[in-house]
Amino acid sequence: MPANYEQAITLTGDLHARPAGALAVAAAKYSAAVSLTVGTSTADAKSVLGVMGLGATSGQDITVAAEGPDAEEAVATILAILAQATQVGA
Amino acid sequence: MSLDARVGIVLVSHSAQLAEGAAALAAQISGGTVAIIPAGGTDEGQLGTSATKVQRAAELADSGAGVVILPDLGSAVLTVRALLGEAGDLPTPIELADAPFVEGVVAATVAAAAGGDIKAVLAAAEEARHARKL
Repeated sequence: MPANYEQAITLTGDLHARPAGALAVAAAKYSAAVSLTVGTSTADAKSVLGVMGLGATSGQDITVAAEGPDAEEAVATILAILAQATQVGA
Repeated sequence: MSLDARVGIVLVSHSAQLAEGAAALAAQISGGTVAIIPAGGTDEGQLGTSATKVQRAAELADSGAGVVILPDLGSAVLTVRALLGEAGDLPTPIELADAPFVEGVVAATVAAAAGGDIKAVLAAAEEARHARKL
């Protein structure tokens, strides 16, 4: 049965190309639809260009939302990547 | 196709440096798990394209899941089309993507790194033309 799950995190670094790539690769492995929202912009987490197009920067709140059987796991994975990858401004 | 086989990518550019640079950038963004083979310049090292280089790159890029080719402009497209039209020994499946060069290879390699099949990788490359930068 499809589940909805979402959680927000405050970025501690800018969301650069490399973390965007890691995030999109990870998101694509889940069957749940995963989206990222920053302010009024929303992107498909499985689209690396969409994620980069958010232009998310340090200090911004980013909401990870997922819908599907593995939604909770998908959100946890993406949050972990956001927390780690933006830390060093990779 | 084995579970580990990833779709390979070939970058066909008039410029060897452009193909190599785009390949390096896409490899870094996608995590380095996908074969991205540059085929830039002529056989003499000048600006232009080479069917021989594209052929070799396609063979190197294939690991059993097929190959998506991204051309930069004009005669790069013609060179690949001519090659695909010959009855040569190219990997299969093989697809020519109608996509922006830099965005296309980044999107395609991320899709390939995630385990996407040739249709998914081709679609990711071609959808790149709709992505906004701002």
